[in-house]
Amino acid sequence: MPIRTHRSDDGQTLTIQIEGRFDFSTHQAFRNAYEHEDREVSNFVVDLSQTTYLDSSALGMLLLLRDFAGGDRARIQLKHCNNDVRRILTISNFEQLFSIQ
Amino acid sequence: MNDKPHLDEEALTELQDVMEEEFAVLINTYLKDSSDRITYLRNAIGSADADAFAKTAHSFKGSSINIGAPKLGDLCLEAENAGKANRLGDAAKVVDQIETEFLRIQKTLKEFLS
Amino acid sequence: MKVSADHVDASALRILIADDSDSDRLILKTLLKRLGHEVRAASDGREAVTVFPDYQPDIVLLDVLMPVMDGIDAARRIKEMAGEELVPVIFLTSLTDADALAHCLDAGGDDFLTKPYNKVIIQAKLGAFNRMRQMHRTLSRQRDLIQDRNRQLLEEQQLAKRVFDNIAHTGCLDADNIRYHISPLSIFNGDILFACPRPAGGMHILVGDFTGHGLPAAIGALPIAEIFYGMTTMGFSGSDLLREINDKLVRILPTGMFCCAALIQADFHLNQLRIWNGGLPDGVLIRRDGTKEFLESKYLPLGVLSSGRFDASMEVFHTSAGDMLLMMTDGVLEAENQNSEQYGGARLKQALDNASASEQLIDAVLTDVVAFCGHRKGRDDLTLVSLKMVVDAEFRQPAEQLPQSVLKGPTDWHCVYEVRDETLGKFSPLPLLLHICMEVPGLRRKSADIYTLLSELYNNALEHGVLKLSSDLKTSSDGFSYYYSERERRLGNVDGHFIRFSLAHRKTDAGGQLRIICEDSGDGFDHTTELESQATEAHYSGRGLMLMQKLGNSLRYSEYGSCAEIVYDWELAEPVPE
Repeated sequence: MPIRTHRSDDGQTLTIQIEGRFDFSTHQAFRNAYEHEDREVSNFVVDLSQTTYLDSSALGMLLLLRDFAGGDRARIQLKHCNNDVRRILTISNFEQLFSIQ
Repeated sequence: MNDKPHLDEEALTELQDVMEEEFAVLINTYLKDSSDRITYLRNAIGSADADAFAKTAHSFKGSSINIGAPKLGDLCLEAENAGKANRLGDAAKVVDQIETEFLRIQKTLKEFLS
Repeated sequence: MKVSADHVDASALRILIADDSDSDRLILKTLLKRLGHEVRAASDGREAVTVFPDYQPDIVLLDVLMPVMDGIDAARRIKEMAGEELVPVIFLTSLTDADALAHCLDAGGDDFLTKPYNKVIIQAKLGAFNRMRQMHRTLSRQRDLIQDRNRQLLEEQQLAKRVFDNIAHTGCLDADNIRYHISPLSIFNGDILFACPRPAGGMHILVGDFTGHGLPAAIGALPIAEIFYGMTTMGFSGSDLLREINDKLVRILPTGMFCCAALIQADFHLNQLRIWNGGLPDGVLIRRDGTKEFLESKYLPLGVLSSGRFDASMEVFHTSAGDMLLMMTDGVLEAENQNSEQYGGARLKQALDNASASEQLIDAVLTDVVAFCGHRKGRDDLTLVSLKMVVDAEFRQPAEQLPQSVLKGPTDWHCVYEVRDETLGKFSPLPLLLHICMEVPGLRRKSADIYTLLSELYNNALEHGVLKLSSDLKTSSDGFSYYYSERERRLGNVDGHFIRFSLAHRKTDAGGQLRIICEDSGDGFDHTTELESQATEAHYSGRGLMLMQKLGNSLRYSEYGSCAEIVYDWELAEPVPE
């Protein structure tokens, strides 16, 4: 599976890990990863350490997650991104919308 | 002194067989060499050269054995040993015996050829 | 061409005889001729020695006592001249004294013939010596052939090594934080050690050991090197590399041949190591404080399992600057001393305890192994590599030598690649197009940019142009899903459509320029609205155009949006030398 999820012990944080290419082909799996969880989740972590590439449709998907998680009130961290992925996120001004680490 | 035959007829026949038409050349060469060697032996005694005496006796021995004259070969061996031991005093007597034996061989071989 | 006597008549020999006695010489000469041999007769040792070189006899028969030069002296000289060739020397003698006979043998005689000559004995002895001579000649020939082949093999290895070095070069092994030891002809021991910087930062290191030695082991190294450097340069992850390499080896290697290997993916930015160890001895991670973790092999070697069963998961280790990783091939543990004892893990552990996490870790281990092995010359297939974790900013790669390499690769070229109909749905042209661009050395650093440009162009052409999907659908989560399910559905019946990429590259004063034109058979799309919409966060789409605009130097649409052109300039660190 290119996408794995993990709930923290207190159930409040959901970590979504994406392996390989993050593009349109992962759309359904990515959506399933958060939509099927219950509403107790208040923090989202997208672990991009295994992500080799991210395209414009993935940017859209991240925005969908953001809106799902409460839009401007959403608490989403994008973690462990490699330099290529970070560059795409920066060019897209995603620092203003997400906490990128 | 020794009981070996003067001429080994069997060996001689075999030699004749091998040499074919050159048999006569061989015999004549042997006879010529041998009479030369007897002269060398006497000269060596005269000049007291034991080494030359032994070497000539040695060669004489070899060719005599090869031609089928074992008794002459034995006499040459005796001469060779005397030369090696530097006993040229005894050697003159052996050379006499060699000459006598050689003359006998020569006579028989010439008869054999004719 | 000299026809040797052997070919004319196996038993006819060239025989040189020497005897001072005319009658004896005559007998022997006649006898030998009657037996079918060719004879040259000399009347003393000196004459025999003089004619020997020209006559080149197979066998020499010498009387012992001869005037001028005796047989013993002549034999010694003849043996000297014959050198390695076996020329049997047989003494002709009426000697009966054992001491005298032994003296003849000491002088190099091989046998005797006693007077009176006996035809049967002579024939038997000549036959025996002829067989010995031929056997010797055969052995010599075979030995020469083996020596020749061996020399040829060594020359070929040297040549092959130069070829291998070009392909399986050591990459960035000379980086400041890497130390390694590898034998000069390691490739023929089956050991491999490669390192390559990743475009996104950090590096990959591959250390491995093929089963077997020599050429078969070396051959496997070539595809590995190609995949390793190729895929690393294009930004693929360690797991991607492992899967690809394993797959390749499974296909090309015969059963029973495989490659024990470890892949290390080092990320100095995240301060993280990802390690996959398949069949190599335990790696050792030595923390700055001296504590050690042993990284044991958890997988089967590369080239064993089919792709379906192959597990390429890499274990993650969080590190700090100053931590050291040590990996080695089993040549280290299996190094033997005079008593055939192996160096082994316990001694290695002791050596590491003594060395601590110093820079000289490798040297300490090597010195200890050499001391253990004593004077015994090792197999020299020890391969060790250590990697020191450093602060990202400190990590300096060896100079890229771009100015030189950019002149070597293709710089002026143009190509058109068109994908049509069914293929549009089944095949992505992107890897191929990226590969073409990566042939330009200066573009390799930019692989991520190029891939993004190609991918965004292609997806726009396919989705908006060919499939006529509107971005307007992407206004909600469900809209997204509908959009992509429609994409899937419409791809199933594409007819009469194409997407055409035209790539052109040329050298510029500053570096190079890549021009990408992407045309499609669709009716075009409203790229202007797309571009405007990106400003508002509410839109989930439209970011592809923005990405292309920012990454490229210019983006231009024509034909109502069915033809897009991007110009991408890249620059050298230094100006190109003329």
